[in-house]
Amino acid sequence: MIDRLTDNLEQYMNLVSFRQKLVASNIANADTPGYKTQDLDFQASFRSAMDGGSPEAVSVPGLSTKNDGNNVDLDREARLLAENAMRFNVAATLMKSSISRIKEAINGGKS
Amino acid sequence: MTAPISNITPITLPQVQPLSSSAGQPGEFQKVLTGTINDLESMNNNASDSVQKFLSGENEELHTTILATQKAELAFELGLQVRNKVVDAYQEIMKMQM
Amino acid sequence: MSLFAALTVSASGMAAQRTRAALLVENIANSETTRTPEGGPYRRKDAVFTTQQVGSAFGTELDAQMGGMQLSGVSVAGISVDTRDPEKRYMPGHPDADSNGYVSMPRVNPAEDMVDLVSADRSYQANVAAMSAVKDMIMKSIDLLK
Repeated sequence: MIDRLTDNLEQYMNLVSFRQKLVASNIANADTPGYKTQDLDFQASFRSAMDGGSPEAVSVPGLSTKNDGNNVDLDREARLLAENAMRFNVAATLMKSSISRIKEAINGGKS
Repeated sequence: MTAPISNITPITLPQVQPLSSSAGQPGEFQKVLTGTINDLESMNNNASDSVQKFLSGENEELHTTILATQKAELAFELGLQVRNKVVDAYQEIMKMQM
Repeated sequence: MSLFAALTVSASGMAAQRTRAALLVENIANSETTRTPEGGPYRRKDAVFTTQQVGSAFGTELDAQMGGMQLSGVSVAGISVDTRDPEKRYMPGHPDADSNGYVSMPRVNPAEDMVDLVSADRSYQANVAAMSAVKDMIMKSIDLLK
């Protein structure tokens, strides 16, 4: 609990990590019969995380199902993979500069 | 004719009431200091727990552990700087000519 | 499960796709094989994929017992061998021809399996990309320490 910004950033990083894990699972099971794509409702999870809830995987509507019951769309997963990686990157970078800013404030300009 | 000089009535100084002793009551500053030390302790414990969980392979994200250690480090730095400032202020006061 | 578990998931995906590709290659190579050690023509093989929960590489049994989140990896549950009757082709001069001149040929369509092979390759690449992305995220976290 340093300040609200770092707390929010940490929650954000947690959620993006969780989402990326689901994407990895979806990709691994892209050819598994009967497997359904899993995802995270980001807005809802972020709000619930503020109250101390943990993220939950949900099924994704609007995906077409193949003959064997599998509905994984590799293009969608590839896009999410890149997006999550970038978001995590941004959050980590912001976090890093936030921490060094606080450190500088504490040390009064001399480190 | 000049009036005779009467006795000089001594000036009575108003009695200076001593300040009521506040020695037994924790002052604001002490509260702040104790609070800071407690926070520091809890952050440290948090960080140690997090590292422990991560090392033993429990359900702990790497960035959570790293952030916990960073926060503990920041809290420590803050505590250290506050302590330095307090010591400096004390020494300043001691240097004052009485 | 930490991000490290996601690495295990991607690894399981790569392994499964490798097995699938190996079987497809075997099918294609044996599309004309009329003689096998078990007798009869070659029977095509397919990998059966199934979802398998994975724990982290460092994870403990305790974590699973405590209801920690399990990630879905994939594994090859088994190899299904084609049990259909083999195709019969009329080739009277063939050494394996039966009395009527028909040879039992494997029910393998090489074109179909080659397309499948491309798909397996694409899935394999996707798993590699996933593993790489997750690894980058982990490295970025470590970067916070500097």
